[in-house]
Amino acid sequence: MANMLNIDDLKVSLEEEEKQIIKGLSLSINPGEVHAIMGPNGSGKSTLSSVLAGKDGYIIDSGTVNFDGSDLLEAEVEERAALGIFMAFQYPIEIPGVGNMNFLRTALNSQRKTRGQEELNAADFLKLVRGIAKDLEISDEMMKRPVNVGASGGEKKRNEILQMCLLEPRFVILDETDSGLDVDAMKLVSKGVNNFSSSSRSFLVITHYQRLLNYIVPDFVHIMVDGRIVKTGDKALALHVEETGYKDFLQLGKEKH
Amino acid sequence: MSHVNTSDWYNSLRQELECNSLSIEKVSRRSEYWRKSNLDIVSDLVQEISETDLINLNGTHLYEPELTIVGDIMELASGKSYKISSIMDEIADEGSFTKNYFGKLEEKSQKLVPRPLARDNSLSPKVGYALSLPESSKKPLVIHNKTKTSVNNCFQRNLIIVNKGVEATIIETGNNLSVFNSVTEIYLDENAKLNYLDLTGENNIFPKISHKFCDMAEKSTFNHFGLRLNTKSTRNEIELHLNGPGINTSIANVSLINKKHHFSDENVLINHNAYECKSRQVFKSVLENDCTSIVRGKIYVAPEAQKTDGYQSSRSLLLNENSRFLCKPELEIYADDVICSHGSTSSSLDKESLFYMLSRGVHKEKAKEMLITAFISEALDEIEDEGIKSALSNYIDIWTSNFFHE
Repeated sequence: MANMLNIDDLKVSLEEEEKQIIKGLSLSINPGEVHAIMGPNGSGKSTLSSVLAGKDGYIIDSGTVNFDGSDLLEAEVEERAALGIFMAFQYPIEIPGVGNMNFLRTALNSQRKTRGQEELNAADFLKLVRGIAKDLEISDEMMKRPVNVGASGGEKKRNEILQMCLLEPRFVILDETDSGLDVDAMKLVSKGVNNFSSSSRSFLVITHYQRLLNYIVPDFVHIMVDGRIVKTGDKALALHVEETGYKDFLQLGKEKH
Repeated sequence: MSHVNTSDWYNSLRQELECNSLSIEKVSRRSEYWRKSNLDIVSDLVQEISETDLINLNGTHLYEPELTIVGDIMELASGKSYKISSIMDEIADEGSFTKNYFGKLEEKSQKLVPRPLARDNSLSPKVGYALSLPESSKKPLVIHNKTKTSVNNCFQRNLIIVNKGVEATIIETGNNLSVFNSVTEIYLDENAKLNYLDLTGENNIFPKISHKFCDMAEKSTFNHFGLRLNTKSTRNEIELHLNGPGINTSIANVSLINKKHHFSDENVLINHNAYECKSRQVFKSVLENDCTSIVRGKIYVAPEAQKTDGYQSSRSLLLNENSRFLCKPELEIYADDVICSHGSTSSSLDKESLFYMLSRGVHKEKAKEMLITAFISEALDEIEDEGIKSALSNYIDIWTSNFFHE
C-alpha cells in the first residue's frame, strides 16, 4: 500500500531567528491510520503541524514531504486544503464581520471549484451543515455569529470538528485539540472524530497528554523530543508517558545529537 | 455674472461675501486644514471617459434617478414626488423663500476653518436645486450628477429644507468630467430626519469638492453615509451645527481605493451647541497601490452642551507599503459633563485570519475580499434602512471582487 503522507528527514528553521526547530524528522502515514505525536513543550510538534498546513514563517532547510506522491511543500495553503489536508487549530481564529455560514459555504465551494466539482447550492448546503451541527450540539445562534466570535474554548473546538466533517478531508491534523476542553467537550469532539474516521482517512493527533488518546485510539504513538521522533510504539507507549513523564525520552533526545 | 439674472437680495449678499473672500492658493499654503489635500488638475486626463458610475455597474441599475444634473442643466424625471426648483431661478426671484437661507450656513462655516472654495461657490453658482420637504416620503430622492467636459469649473449650489417632523432620504450619485464644486446648505427643523447617501464612484478624474453645511433644530437627525470608490481627487466637507437638545447624528464613510495615487479626503466638523446630543463618526478606508486617504474629524463641544455623547472611530487597511492614511481626530471640549472618544488605527490584513481562511480552502483573493467586506461592515451598519444597506453592500461586494485584479 502506498503511503498517504511521507515525511523524509525534514529540517525546519524559524524565519525570524536562525533557530532550527525540526531537526531531521521522518514519518510515514498510510490511509486509515491514526498516529499520535506526543512530546514536551518546545519539542516542535506545533511547528510540524504548521509546516504541513503551509503556514508562513518557516524555512525548510532540507528534507521532503510527499502527499499522495506529490511534493506538498510546493503547494499553496488553499491547494493543500483542496488536496484533502485539514488542520484543526489549537487556537481557532476569531474573524469579526465574517459570518460563520458564509465562511463555511465559501470554503466548501472554493474547494469543490479547485477540484473541478460543481458548487453546492444554498439549500443543499444548509441541510448538510445543519445535520453536522446537530450531531456536535452546536446551536443555530452560534452558526449565525461571525466565525468563532464570542465562542467559548469548547465551542471553538467543536466548530473546528464541524468544519472537518463538512470539508471531508482525507488527512486530518488535530493540533492539541484537547487543550482547554472539559471531559464532556472532549467526549463530544472525540465522537465527532471517530464517526468521521474511515479506512481511507488518516489522522495525526498532536497532544501533550494521554487522556485524549483514551477516546481517539491511535495505531501508532511517536514521542517527539527536540525536533525528532525519538521513540515509536503503540498506545501502551502513551500510557507509559502518562506514568513516568518525558524525562526518559529527554535523555534519548540528547543521545541522538 | 453679468449674463445671469439675479435679485437685489442676492446681489447685496454677494457684495458682502465678496469683501471677505479668500484665495485657495493662499489658504492651501498656510492652513493646516488644507495641507496634504490634493486638488490639482490632472491635465493629461482630459478626455471623454466611459460612463460607468454608481448608478450603473455591469448593466445593473442600482437606482433610477429622479433628478439628473448634467453640467449646468437640471432634468427632473416625470412623475416626480418632490417639490424641486432651480436655485438659479430662486436667486433671481425677489420674493424667493431661499432668501432667508441662502449663504447663511456657508458664512457660518468660515468661522473655524477657511473654506475659500465654498465662498467661490456662493459668489458664482451655475446650477443647483432648492428643495423643500413638507411631507415624509418612504421613497428616496435619487439625484444623479454628471458634469461635462465642456463645462469648466461647475459650481453647483443646493438648498434642502426639511420641515418639522418630516423624514426623507436623499441618494446622490454620479461622476464628474470637469472640476466640480458643490455647496449644499441643509436646514433640519424640529424632529426632522434626513438620511443622505453620497455615493462617489469611479471616473471622478477631475477634482471634486463637495460641501454640506447643516443647521439642526431640537431632536432632529442627520445621517450621512459616504462611499468613495476609486476617487481621483475628491474632498468632502461636512459641518453640522447641533443647535437644540436631543439631536442625533451619524457620519459614516467607506473609501475603497486601489488605482495608483488615487485619493479621498474627508473632513467633518460637528458643533455640539446644545445639551444631550449624540454624534457618531465612523470612517473606514481600504487602500492599495500607493493611494491616500485623509480623515479630519472634529468634535466641538460648547460650554452649554452638557451630556454630549461624541464618538469617532477612523480605521484603515493599508494593503501596500506606500499607501497612506492621514488621520487627524480632534476634540475641543468646553463642557465638563460629556462622553467623547476617538480612536484611529492603521493595519494590514490580519495574517492569522487570512491563514485560517486559506487553510479551509478559500482562495486567496476571495479571502482578502471577505476580510475587506468584514472591515467596512461597521460603517455600513450605520445605514438604518435595511433595503438600502443590503443593496449597497451587494454593490460593494461586486465592486470589491475586482479589487485585486487591477
